[in-house]
Amino acid sequence: MHTNLLLSVPVRYWQDFQDTLARATNANIYIFDANGAPFSRFSLPAELCQEVNKGRELRNEKCIDFYRLACGSLEEKDMLTCPYGLKLCAYRLGSYAQRIGYLMVAPSRHTTLVEREEEIAFITKAHNVYRTINEVFSAILEKNLLGLRRLELNSIYEISRLMTSIVELDRVLELITNSLIIIYQADLCFVGLREGGKIRVAQGKGVHGSQLIGKEWPLVHPLVERIFSKVEPSSLSIEELKVLPGFTGTEAAPGTEIMVYPLWTALGIVGLLGIAAPASLGDNGSKNLQIYINFAAVALANATLIRRLEREAETDYLTGFLNKRVLRDVLAAELQRAARYGYHLSVIFLDIDDFKAYNDTFGHLAGDVVLQKTAELIKNSIRTTDIACRYGGEEFIIILPGTKGGDAAKVAERIRKSVEVYPFPHRRITASLGVAQAKKNDSVDSLLARADQACYQAKERGKNHLYLDPS
Amino acid sequence: MSEIIEKRIGRYETLLKEMWAASSKYLGTFSVNLLVERVVWEVSLEYKEIELLQYDQNGISCAKMAAKLEENPDLPVEDMFIKFITRYVEILARLLGHERAEEIKKKLDEEFAGDPAASREE
Repeated sequence: MHTNLLLSVPVRYWQDFQDTLARATNANIYIFDANGAPFSRFSLPAELCQEVNKGRELRNEKCIDFYRLACGSLEEKDMLTCPYGLKLCAYRLGSYAQRIGYLMVAPSRHTTLVEREEEIAFITKAHNVYRTINEVFSAILEKNLLGLRRLELNSIYEISRLMTSIVELDRVLELITNSLIIIYQADLCFVGLREGGKIRVAQGKGVHGSQLIGKEWPLVHPLVERIFSKVEPSSLSIEELKVLPGFTGTEAAPGTEIMVYPLWTALGIVGLLGIAAPASLGDNGSKNLQIYINFAAVALANATLIRRLEREAETDYLTGFLNKRVLRDVLAAELQRAARYGYHLSVIFLDIDDFKAYNDTFGHLAGDVVLQKTAELIKNSIRTTDIACRYGGEEFIIILPGTKGGDAAKVAERIRKSVEVYPFPHRRITASLGVAQAKKNDSVDSLLARADQACYQAKERGKNHLYLDPS
Repeated sequence: MSEIIEKRIGRYETLLKEMWAASSKYLGTFSVNLLVERVVWEVSLEYKEIELLQYDQNGISCAKMAAKLEENPDLPVEDMFIKFITRYVEILARLLGHERAEEIKKKLDEEFAGDPAASREE
């Protein structure tokens, strides 16, 4: 929250009210904010104050120091004498829990208040001024806080509506972190998602937020276990969090607390959400935030589930490669990219030699082992930017962006050799490979057809060969 | 609308529109509107008139504020807009990181070169 919210009153309006009150009560009024800095100008200023401060604003160093010290040490109320001998009644504004600022009331005339009756009359007057001003400030504060809570609720309503219509995980993550930083003015917000036995930070915004992205925290880590041991959020200091990767070396203002919410749904742990503790959340604010977090947990669970289903629909279960269904889309996109940016693109078509005979002789389980191991050998022979797909039973396609046919042939040869020398169970396994480089105006079908034809040529040459399409 | 008022409001409206467009490119219109709503509320604690700022999925407009300024030329629009822009950029920096926020600020500085209000540092 903006630090000035407690005294977020248009000073120009406030000054009119303060001056009127000062005139009505015939008392000098001075108001300071929670840090002891002047909030408004003097009302009905004593001549002495005007004289030493050269006007109605506090400028004199001695006065500034006096008031700052006085505000800093004031418990509730006190009778003070300023460095120039002016007697003042000092009051703390606000409640015990929430300090709004300070009020100083001085007699309109310079007096030492030596007469007991005069002093009692002045203290009574000062106390009445205090009660009036404190009531007004409390009402303004209440109104400001209500406005903030209304804004939070409106925002949460809008976001919850939107979250039910978004299923893309990245967008959900972006929406959650952005909106929390905006609504709560948080310095840091991050979301970690459960991936098996660990939490992986999927999004981080604010100070040091980007440092956290991609960091992994095991579920069995004592601090993570502590977070998930309860339904309520854990309030953790940066010092406590430093045991987790990503927080090491993080510097934060002393006393900075991070609220870490475990994200649960009926299906179990979804992940966790951390937010630098908003300054004045209060009970209602905490409830609003918890409502938001519950929505976020459901939205994240849905989006994660959908992403997993989409990935599973695109992936070959046995090898972990992309399946034939996705291959066409991926290859079409790569062809388009190659045409737009003018770079080369090649495709390798791999067929395991005599696989049917191996399957028939040693069984399907043994055949599956060959497919899995061949996939692993392919994966170890290509770059991370290359894309491997299982095309059919014992056929694989490897897409090599930015690669000429000749270079693709070298990769194919590397794969062929690694398959040839690998000690597969029962007997030696070999593969035939066809290589084709994409030509201008090539379609998915025409490129795959040439790679397939090249593979056929490799078979024709006695298997365990590779053939580079010459066209 | 008088030419003076049109000029006073016009330069801020252009600046806000640029800010809105530049940040929605990175954040999306929903987040940008949420950000505007948050900053409007905060500034409205001091300047009620900021609530006259109109914004939706299509952008931001100062038309209502210009009409109000016609009625009351003493409105402190400069202070109000500077406060609005300062807070907006502060939160934007948290969302986009200082690098991208600086990119946007630089772009705005270039667009509004010579306009002291637009390039004012806090």
